Amino acid sequence: MIHSQPLDFRQGATNDSKYRLAANDIYEGLKKWRIWLLLAWQDTKLRYRRSALGPFWITLSMAVTIYTMGLLYGQLFKMDLPHYYPFLAAGLLSWSLISSLLMEGGSIFLEAEHFIKQAKQPYSVFVFRTVTKCFIFFFHNILVLVPIILFFDVKLNVHTLFIGLSLVIIWINGVIYSVIFAILGTRFRDIVQVINSLIQVIFFLTPIIWLPSVLPEKYQYIIHLNPFAQFMQLLRNPLLGSFPSSYTLVFITLVTLLGCFVAFVVFARYRARIPYWL
Amino acid sequence: MATIHLDSVSVDFPIYSFSARSLKKQFLHFTTGGALSSQKDMVVIKALDNITLTLNHGDRVGLIGHNGAGKSTLLRVLAKIYEPIQGHIYCEGSISPLLNIMLGINHESTGYENIMVRGLLLGLTRKQIRIKLNKIAEFTELGDYLFAPVRTYSSGMQLRLAFAVATCIKPEILLMDEMIEVGDAAFIKSAQSHLNEFIGQSSILVLASHSHDTIRRFCNKVVFMEKGRVNYFGPVEEGLKLYETYT
Repeated sequence: MIHSQPLDFRQGATNDSKYRLAANDIYEGLKKWRIWLLLAWQDTKLRYRRSALGPFWITLSMAVTIYTMGLLYGQLFKMDLPHYYPFLAAGLLSWSLISSLLMEGGSIFLEAEHFIKQAKQPYSVFVFRTVTKCFIFFFHNILVLVPIILFFDVKLNVHTLFIGLSLVIIWINGVIYSVIFAILGTRFRDIVQVINSLIQVIFFLTPIIWLPSVLPEKYQYIIHLNPFAQFMQLLRNPLLGSFPSSYTLVFITLVTLLGCFVAFVVFARYRARIPYWL
Repeated sequence: MATIHLDSVSVDFPIYSFSARSLKKQFLHFTTGGALSSQKDMVVIKALDNITLTLNHGDRVGLIGHNGAGKSTLLRVLAKIYEPIQGHIYCEGSISPLLNIMLGINHESTGYENIMVRGLLLGLTRKQIRIKLNKIAEFTELGDYLFAPVRTYSSGMQLRLAFAVATCIKPEILLMDEMIEVGDAAFIKSAQSHLNEFIGQSSILVLASHSHDTIRRFCNKVVFMEKGRVNYFGPVEEGLKLYETYT
C-alpha cells in the first residue's frame, strides 16, 4: 500500500530536499492567492469596522499628518511651498508603505499562530497576506495626494506610469525581507521592538522631510549608501512625474537579488522550525 | 484507500527560557566572549519518542493517555503541522485536522465571512462554499444572524457556527482532539446524527479523548501513549483496561 513519496521531514534531511520543500511552499502559497487576498482584505476591513467614516479613517489620519507637517516644516525650513509640499506629501506617503512593511514583518508568524497550529498551510501564505495588507492601506492613502497635485499643479506625465513597476519591485522586496524578519521575529521576540526603534532613526536619516539637495556634497554618501533613500526615490519620483535615477535602479536590483538569495536560504533552513518556536 | 505509516518518528520541543528568547541577552553573551553562555537556557522536551505506527483504511483509532503523554503532538504531526526531528511519515489521502474548532473564528467578522475564510482554508473554492452556504445556514438555524458579527452571538450560537463549518467537508483522514461537544439541548440531537454521518464518511479517524465512553462509541482500536511512546496498540477494551491499571 505504501508507495507514495515519503515526506522527508528529518532535520538531517539533505539540503537538496530542504530547498525543494521551501520552493514548494512558496509555489503552493502563490497558488493559494484567494486565501491571502481574502485575509488581507479582511484585516483591512477589521481596522475600520464600527467606525463612522469607514475606510476613510485611514486616509483622513494620513491627510492630517501630511497637511500639518507640510505647513509646519515649510515654515521651519523656509521652503518654497509649491516645490516642497508635493515632495513632502509623496515622501510621507511612500514612507508610510515602507515603514508599515518593516513594522509588520517581524510579527507575521506570531499573528498567524492560530492558523499555523490548526492546519497545515504554506507559510508563505501569511507573508503574502501581510505584505498585501500594507499595500491595500497604501492605496487608501494615495488619495491624499490628489488635492496636492491639483492645488500645486504637479506635472504628471508618462514617467508617472513607472509607479506600477515601482510597486511591483517593492512588493517583491517586501515579501523577501518580511520572510527574514518574520523568521527572526518568531525565534527572538524582541526583534519587533528593535525594528520599531530603528524605524525612527531611519526616518530622519532618509530624505523624507528634508530635500536631498540641502545635504552638503561631502555628506551625500548618507543618501547614496542608504537603501531606504533609494526605495524612497523609486516610489516618490514617479509620483512627482520623473524617473528614478539609473543609480537607484542598479542599487535596488542588487538589493533585491541579495535579498532573494538570503531570504531563500533562511527560509529553507528554518521553515520547519517555525511551529516549534511559536 | 488511505493509509498512514509512521516510521520511528521523534519530536523534540525546545523550551526557551525568557533569556534565550531575547536577542539582547544573546548579544551580551557574545560580547562577554561567550564565557557566560551555557546550554542551561534551553531545555528540550521529548514529546514523541521513536513512534512507529501503521493505520489503514477503516481504522477508528482512539488516542488515550495522561495529560502531556503526547496525544496532541501526535495529532499535529499527523496533520503535518510539526515536521518531525527524526523519522518519516508516509501518508496517502488528504488530511482534515479538526483540532480546535473554535480557534480561528474571528469575532469581529460576520458569520458569513468566517464561513468564507474557513472554507477557503479547508481547500474549498468560493463557488463550492456558496453551494454549501444554504446547508450551513439551515443547519445552524442562524438565519440572518450570519450577516452579523460573531461577537454578537451567544456562545451556543458560536459553537454551532464553528461546528457546522468544520463538518461541511468530506474528510478522508480525520484528526480530532477531543470529541466536539455541542451544549444546546435542542441542537444536540441533530448535531449528534450529523457528527456520526461526518465521521462515518472518513476513511481513517484518529481521535484523542479522555472519555472512555466516547472512545468505546467511535473507535475500534486504541493507541495508549505514555511519555511520548506508544505503549499499546490494539483492540479497545484491552487498551482501556491497560490504561486503567496505570491510573
